[in-house]
Amino acid sequence: MQCKEVMMERRCFVSALAQVSCQLPLSDEWFDSPCRYEEGYVRAQDPSVKGIISPMEARRMSKILKRAVCTAHAALETAGVEVPDAIITGSGMGCIDNTEKFLTDLSRYGESCLKPTLFMQSTHNTVSSLVAIMLKCHGYNNTYSHLGISFESALLDAWLQIGSGAVRNALVSAHDEVTPLMSRVMRQTHPEYSFISECSMSALLTDGNCGGVVCEVESVRLLNRPEPEEVAELLAQVPDSVIMTGINGNPINDSHYEKVLGKLCNAPLLLGYRHLFGDNFSSSALGFYAACRILERGTVPQFMKLCKQNNKVEDLERITLLNHSEGSQWSVVKLKRCERCGS
Amino acid sequence: MAKRVFVTGAGIVSALGIGKGATLQALQNGVSGVGKLTHIESELSSFPVGEVQMDNAQLSRMLGVEYPVSEVRTALLAIAAAREAVDEANLTDKDIRKCAFISGTTVGGMDKTERHFKNVIDADLATDETRELKYNDCGYSTEMTADAIGKFEMVTTSSTACSSAANAVILGANLIRAGVVDIALVGGSEALSKFHINGFNTLMILDSERCRPFDRDRAGINLGEGAGFLVLESEESAAHRKVSPIGELIGYANACDAFHQTATSETGEGAFRSMSNALAMANLAPEAVDYVNAHGTGTPNNDETELAAMKRVWGDKLPFFSSTKPFTGHTTSASGSIESVISLLAIKHGFIPPNLGWSNPISAGAEPVTGGGRNSEVKIVVNNSFGFGGNDSTLIFAKV
Repeated sequence: MQCKEVMMERRCFVSALAQVSCQLPLSDEWFDSPCRYEEGYVRAQDPSVKGIISPMEARRMSKILKRAVCTAHAALETAGVEVPDAIITGSGMGCIDNTEKFLTDLSRYGESCLKPTLFMQSTHNTVSSLVAIMLKCHGYNNTYSHLGISFESALLDAWLQIGSGAVRNALVSAHDEVTPLMSRVMRQTHPEYSFISECSMSALLTDGNCGGVVCEVESVRLLNRPEPEEVAELLAQVPDSVIMTGINGNPINDSHYEKVLGKLCNAPLLLGYRHLFGDNFSSSALGFYAACRILERGTVPQFMKLCKQNNKVEDLERITLLNHSEGSQWSVVKLKRCERCGS
Repeated sequence: MAKRVFVTGAGIVSALGIGKGATLQALQNGVSGVGKLTHIESELSSFPVGEVQMDNAQLSRMLGVEYPVSEVRTALLAIAAAREAVDEANLTDKDIRKCAFISGTTVGGMDKTERHFKNVIDADLATDETRELKYNDCGYSTEMTADAIGKFEMVTTSSTACSSAANAVILGANLIRAGVVDIALVGGSEALSKFHINGFNTLMILDSERCRPFDRDRAGINLGEGAGFLVLESEESAAHRKVSPIGELIGYANACDAFHQTATSETGEGAFRSMSNALAMANLAPEAVDYVNAHGTGTPNNDETELAAMKRVWGDKLPFFSSTKPFTGHTTSASGSIESVISLLAIKHGFIPPNLGWSNPISAGAEPVTGGGRNSEVKIVVNNSFGFGGNDSTLIFAKV
C-alpha cells in the first residue's frame, strides 16, 4: 500500500462541536467530572428540545432525530453559521427504532396494517434530510452507513470537499441510537463491545473563513483490511503525536490495536474515550469530539490516559485518532492544534 | 485544471438479466423485466416487480460464494455486477489494492433479517438465530462484495435511499480528483425485501400494473432489484494501464430539496439544483445534452416535479428523455448506478431506450422517447437519481 500524503488546496478546521451521549448532553462537564457507569448498556441523556423543536414535531420524532436536531443546532449556533453549505452524516444503523417497530409490526400483525410514518422515517438518510428540511438547506447532503467507520466516511467526504473548495463549510455528524432490543442483539453480534451506549455528535467544519477555530483536521484516511505495519506507518508519520484509540477494555477489540501499536518504535501517549462514552457504530465521533476539545484546551484529562508510564505532555500539538471496525476497517484522522485556537 | 475522471468498466444486474449484453438486448427489443414477485412470500405479490430471475442459491453457485454471503442478496447481486465492471476495466489484484470501493445501499441485509426476525423475538433472543441479524447493517453487504472482488485500499457505504449509488459515484470521483486514489469501483446494490415492498405500500405509491412514468395516468412505482458498478479512473491511470475509457464523468452534483421526507417540492428545487449544478461543473450549456435518463419513478409527485425542474433547466424545448424504470422496476439504492450503465450503453450504441407504457403527456410538450426507442448519436447523457429526504443527485456522462 502506498501511504502517500494527499495535499489539499485548502485547510480544514473544526469550528464548533456538540454532543449528546451518556455524559451530560450539550455540555463539556465530562471533561472535569465524567459520569461513570457500571451497567453494560446505558442510553444517552436526552437534552431538552424546548425552543428548538415544537412540541407537536417532537412527538412525531424518534430519539435519534431529536438528538440530531439538537446537536446540529448547537454546533451551528456556536459557529455562528445559519445554513451550512453541506450536511454530511454517518450512521451505522440509521433510524433503527422506527425500523425495529416496523419489523415488529410486520412480524406480529402481517402486511395489512402497517404505519407509513415508521417507514418514512426508517432510512439512514432520514436524519440528514430532517436537518436539511429544518434549516431549509439545499446544499450537498449525504449519509454514510458503514458500521464503525460511518463517521470517518462522512468526515472524509467533508474534508475532500472543503479541501477542494467545493464547499466553504460542512455540518458533519454521526448518530446512532441503540434500543433495548438492539442492545441485547448487539451483545451477541458484537462480542468486541464493552459497555454499549448511544451517540449524537455534530461538528461544523470550515475552510477557516467563518466561525471560530477549535483545531485543524489535517487528514482523514480509511483503510480496508490493512496489515498492522501499514497502519503503524501512517501513525509514525506524525512524530510525538498523542493517539486517541478506541480501546475499550475488551480483549476482542483491543488486541487489534495492540497489533498495530506494537509495531511503533516509540511508545506514544495513548488515550481512550470508550470507557466514558461507550460503544456503538458512531462511537469514534465522540473520540473525535474529545480529541478536538483536548487540543482546544491544551490539557489531557488524567482519566483518558491509558498507559501508566511517565506521559506528561509537554507540548500538545497533535492528536491522531485511530479507530477500527471489527479489525477489518480502519481509520486514521490527524488533528492539529492551531495558532488560532480559541480565537 | 481539475483531473478528468474516466469510466473504464461497467457492470449491471437487473430484471433485464445479468450483464450489459442482456441489458442492451432487452432495451433494444423493448422487453421489460417487470413481472411477478417469486422469491419473497408476500401478501403483496399482486404488485408487479422487477426481480432478478436467479434465486440466492443459483446466484451463489454462479459466483462461487458460501454462507453468509450466500444469504445476503444485496451482496450477491453486487458481486455479479462488480465483477463485470472489474473485468472490463482489466483491473489486476495489484490495481485493486490501490482502489477505493464505495457501494450504495439502504436495504442492506434486510431481506435476511426479516426471515429471522420473528423467530428471534418469539424466542426472546434465546436462539442462535439472533446472530444472523448482524448482517442487516448496510456495511456488511458492501464488505462481502469487496472481499469477493479483492483487497481494496478503502471501503465504505453511502446510504441516501434512492440516490445512494449516485452518491457513491460522487465520492469516488472526488477521491480521484483529490488524488487520494487513482481508481474507484463505485455503484450500488439493492435486493427486494418484504420490508420496503410493504413500506412503499403504506405510502400507497405502488402501481398494480406496469409503471407508466411521465404518463398523465401514471399510478406509482414497481419496485425492482439489482446492482450496477462503474470503474472510475483518472486519465493518467487509464493511459498508464493502457485501457480505453467507455465514457467520461464530466459533471455531478448533489443537492437537497429540503422540503419533505417523502414528497418533492412543487418547483422541483432539489432536482433543479442538482441538474443545473452538474451542468455548471461540466461547463455545459443545457442544449448540449443529448439524452436525459430521468429518475421517472411513475409516482404522480416525482414525475410532475422532475418535469417542472427539467423545464426550469431547458425551457419548453426538452431534450430527449426517458425513464427506464418500466424495464427494470425502481431498483431504489441501485438505480443511480444501474441507470448510469444504461446511460453508458446509450452513448456506446447510439441508442436512447424508450419510456415503455407511455401514452399521454402530463403537460404540453412533455413527451418522452417512446416506441422502440431512438437510434441517434448520443454524446452527453444526464442521469438523475432522487431519494427520500429530497436527496437529489445528477451525474453527467460524455462520450470520449
